[in-house]
Formats: sequence, C-alpha cells, structure tokens
Amino acid sequence: MRSDLVTTGASRAGAGAVTTFQVASPDLEAVVRDLSGLRLADMFASDGDAPTLRLVWANDAGGRQSGYVITETPIGGDQYPELSDIAPAAFVEECEIYEQFGIRPATGKPLNRIMLPPHADLPTLGRKPTREPDEVHAPHTVAGEAFEFPFGPVRQVGVESLYYGLVTSGEEVVDLYLFTWHKHRGLEWRLRGLTPPRALFFAERAEGLSAVALGWALAAAAEAATGIRPPVAAQRARAVALELERLYNHAAAMAALCQSTGLSVGQSAAEIALERLLRLNARAFGHRYLFGVIAVGGAGRAPDADAIRADLPGAYEEFKRAADALLDTNSFVDRLEATGVLTIDQARALGLVGPVARGSGLAADTRLVPGGPYNADIGTGIAVATASAGDVLARFNVMLAEAAESVRLIGQFLDAGTGAATTDLPRTSGTGLGWAESPRGEALAWVQLDDDGRISRARLRPASARNWRGFDDACRSQNVFTDIPIIEASFWLTAAGMAR
Amino acid sequence: MTLWFVRGLRRGVVTTRYPARPEESARFLPGPPAFRPGALTRETAGRLAGACPSGALRLAESEGQADGGALLFDVGRCTACGRCAAEAPQAVTSSGAFELAATSRSVLIKEIPLRGRNDDTGRTA
Repeated sequence: MRSDLVTTGASRAGAGAVTTFQVASPDLEAVVRDLSGLRLADMFASDGDAPTLRLVWANDAGGRQSGYVITETPIGGDQYPELSDIAPAAFVEECEIYEQFGIRPATGKPLNRIMLPPHADLPTLGRKPTREPDEVHAPHTVAGEAFEFPFGPVRQVGVESLYYGLVTSGEEVVDLYLFTWHKHRGLEWRLRGLTPPRALFFAERAEGLSAVALGWALAAAAEAATGIRPPVAAQRARAVALELERLYNHAAAMAALCQSTGLSVGQSAAEIALERLLRLNARAFGHRYLFGVIAVGGAGRAPDADAIRADLPGAYEEFKRAADALLDTNSFVDRLEATGVLTIDQARALGLVGPVARGSGLAADTRLVPGGPYNADIGTGIAVATASAGDVLARFNVMLAEAAESVRLIGQFLDAGTGAATTDLPRTSGTGLGWAESPRGEALAWVQLDDDGRISRARLRPASARNWRGFDDACRSQNVFTDIPIIEASFWLTAAGMAR
Repeated sequence: MTLWFVRGLRRGVVTTRYPARPEESARFLPGPPAFRPGALTRETAGRLAGACPSGALRLAESEGQADGGALLFDVGRCTACGRCAAEAPQAVTSSGAFELAATSRSVLIKEIPLRGRNDDTGRTA
C-alpha cells in the first residue's frame, strides 16, 4: 500500500472492514500496481457527467485481515489510465463504464459491447459515448478449416437468452465469446431516486437465483451508508436463508450437470432433491425462492425453525444420495474430469469468485469477512471447501462440500436464535458497500444516498457478472463442443446477473 | 448405466397428486392480496397504490373525489410480494390463492369498492 494515500473514511458499523482512499487520476496506475496482491472485486463509475471511478479491492486473507479497500478517483476529462493491462479483471468494467459514462482507458484500446443492445437508444448513467463499442473480441485467427459458429441467443428449453460465438475447427473449441446484453433491464439506472427498501425489491429480482445474497448485499450497503446495524437475530435469519439459497442452487447445478451429460435418471434424482428444498424454502420462509426474507435494517421474515429441523435432513439426504451415486458413476465422472480447466493463475487474474475460484484453489469466501453473523456466531469454524484441479469435477466437489457445510451452519444459526426484527433506517446521506456470499460467489452492492436518504447511485455486482469472464477461458482449455453445456452447468451462472 | 436404470425403477414416480387432490404445499406460498370489505378508505388505497412496486394497485380515476370510488387490482401484474399487506394489515391479507388462470386479460383486473367515509381505520401504527 502506498504510504502517501490518504484515508478518507473507514466503514461504519454494519459494513465490516471497508477502507476508502482518494487517489488522484495520475496516481491510479501506480496504486493499481501496488494493490495487485488483492483481488479486484469490482470497478464502476458514479456522479454522471463528472464521473468518479471507484475500484473495489478484496483482501481474501481470512481472519481479521479480510475486508475491502475502495479507491475513489475523480476523472476530469473523458479518459483514465489504462487499468486492464495491469489488472485483467478490469476489462469488462472498462467496457461497461464506457457504455454508461462515455469515459475510456487512455490507450484507446478496443472496447466491447457489454450491457446496452445495439440500435436501442436506452438511457445511460452518465454522458453517452462518442462512438459505438468496437465489438472486438478475443484475438484469434480464423483460418484454414476453422470457422465461427453462432449459437443463441434463443437456446433450448427455458435457458436464458445468451449468444455464444464459437470458433471451432469442427470439434475443438478454438475460441468462444459471449454477447450478454440481450436481457439488459437498466436496473442500476432504475434504482436512482428510490429509497433503499424500495430498491431492495429490484435487487432481489436482478438475479432471482441470488435473491437473498443480492438483497443482503444491497441492504448491507444501505445500512453501512446510514450507520445502522441489524439485530443479531435478524442477521441469523438472513444467514439461514442464504444457506438455503446455496443448497437449492447447488442441487439445481447438479441436475444441470446430469442433463448436460445425458444422465436423465440422475437429473430426476437431483430434481427431486431440488423440489424438496424449494418446498422447504416455502414452508420455512413463505417463498420458494426466498424473496422477501431480507429487509433493509434486518429480516422481513423469520424462519420456521421447526419446519427446517423436520424437513432439511430428509431433503439433504436426497441430495447426498444423488451426489454419491453420481460420483460412483464412471461415465459421469469421466465427463467432468479435466473438462473446463481454469488454473489458479487464471482465476486470480480474472478476479473470479465462488465455487469456480475455489475449485481452482482460491479460498475466497466473503463469509470470512469480520462483522457478519458467521464470525459472531461461528467464530473460525466455517470450513471453506477448495480443490486444486480447476476442472468441472473440482467445482462439483466444492459444491457438494459447501452443501454439507450449509446444513451444519443452518443448524447452528437456528440453535442460536433467529428473528424478523428490523432497525429503522434514518434518512441521511452517505455511501456504503455491502456483500454476501451467494451460491455463485461474492455478491456486491454499493450505494450512494442523498440528503433525503434516496439512492443517487447504486451498483449491483452479482457473482455472475464476475465469473462469466472466466467461462471462455474454461471453454478454450482443449474442450470440444459437447463439453460446453457441462462447463456452463458447473459455473452455474445466470445471464440476468450479467445483463442487469 | 444399468445401476441407474435400477435406481430409477426403485425410486418410482415422484410427483404431486394435484389437481386430483389439493396441493398441500400451496398453503405456504405467497398469494395475491385479499381486501377486507369496508376496511379500505381512499387514503389507505392511495398508500397501497404507492407501496405496490409492480403497479398492480391503482386508484380508479374519479375527479375531485375524496371518499368512495374504487381501487383497481390487476392480478396479472401482482407478484405477491406482500408489501400491501405490510402497509395496511387491517385492510389487506394474503388470499392464499394460486389458481389464477383466466381466459381473458380483463378478468384479472378487479375493482375493489372503497369505503364512503374518509376515516383511516386501515392505517398502521
């Protein structure tokens, strides 16, 4: 860390370990080099026509050192220092910031279309860019027998809209790029002027499969901005919902893995477990996808502890039985092993999170950051599952270990006591960062509140927005066409989380 | 693969008996709101319309009217989020209904008559 940086404010209660620094634009490049030991978790701009660039860095060291560092850099003109050459994880956000604020890296490198559909005059958060994105994708040479194979955006059954550009020589995936803007909903634009409780409704629906995690992140950001702390029992209620969300997502990922490998009986077995978990959610919290559990300042609903104690063991036994049978099936395991490999260096460079990062050996888990219910109740007892192979099987094994840990944590939180209390949110200005560990990994939210307590800028960063950038690398690792659905199931991301 | 065939046979068909029998799990699901007759004043209805994030609730247009009138409830836009019930629990409860299919769009729009006097009994503390 540069010694000449000036601390402008540390986090308030409810946010945990967050430190914010002001960095002048000429110093930004050097600061990014200094912080390269941390994980670049997010990058976004705010403040419309006179943008401020904010970089969020995560320290995944564990224990008291875990936390976040935010750098704030006012951008005078329409350019800022080139960052993605130093921190490759910044490239997607450089493209997004150009679309929304019209500012770009100084080197003039080509930027891609990330959010805004072409030929649609949608509102932006700042001034519009002077020209359209370049639409340049990963460098590759299509020559000889190789060709580009377009796939999507309308895909089979009910899968979300997503476009793959597949470059192939017939079987092996030479390159793959994504168009992710087909279901852009302008949520961050829509959140402006809303009160945090009103914004929470949209945050829960930005990526429905992470309703608890994203809702928690936004609520925590608003709580940090206003300096309040939710009641402890409500924090435990949130944590129970978060672990139930992880359980049903991992069951759904297992079903998707079976579907992608053509194992229909295994898929049915996983979906039986999934349905039991969704019904348990409804019984415990009144909603199959756990909407409405999170409230700004606490929890809107308390879990039905008796229902969870009665139904969770059976539902998890169903999950475990299916998983054990799958791991005993060679034809299934063979399809997962050495498929979609991401090395730890790739995961680190791209700032990946969740089971994808942990399957490659990075033990990043926001539940370890001090200040939340996990640390207060469980101490150092959270077992963060990791693997080193970085393939689909490693990610699957991480998910299975996490499911077991979730069941244990739910029991501990219920024993400690849960409730639906909330702390009132004062009408005051401020900024705050919030986070939660979604089934896909770290979900982040940042809010800036005006004097009336309304949102002037909200940033939502689901784990999907982070991990899609690792998907093409995983697909390129000597895989064939039919491996792509398997890799996608193991990432278990949503297009909605990217195209929010 | 043979083992999976046997596993599938042993597990048998796992499904719900609905609609031949009532769906037990439906009682845990969020439902669209039900309005208590006589408990809905124009002021309360205005607050409900303001609280509804999906625009399912709106006041029927009635020029210069302080009392009476109607609240229009569009079931097709309702996400059963429960914010209206939280806003005015004395006037709104969850209906528990989940069989909401209709043969035309207009059937989904209900007109809820408001109380004639403007005393706000539905207001929460």
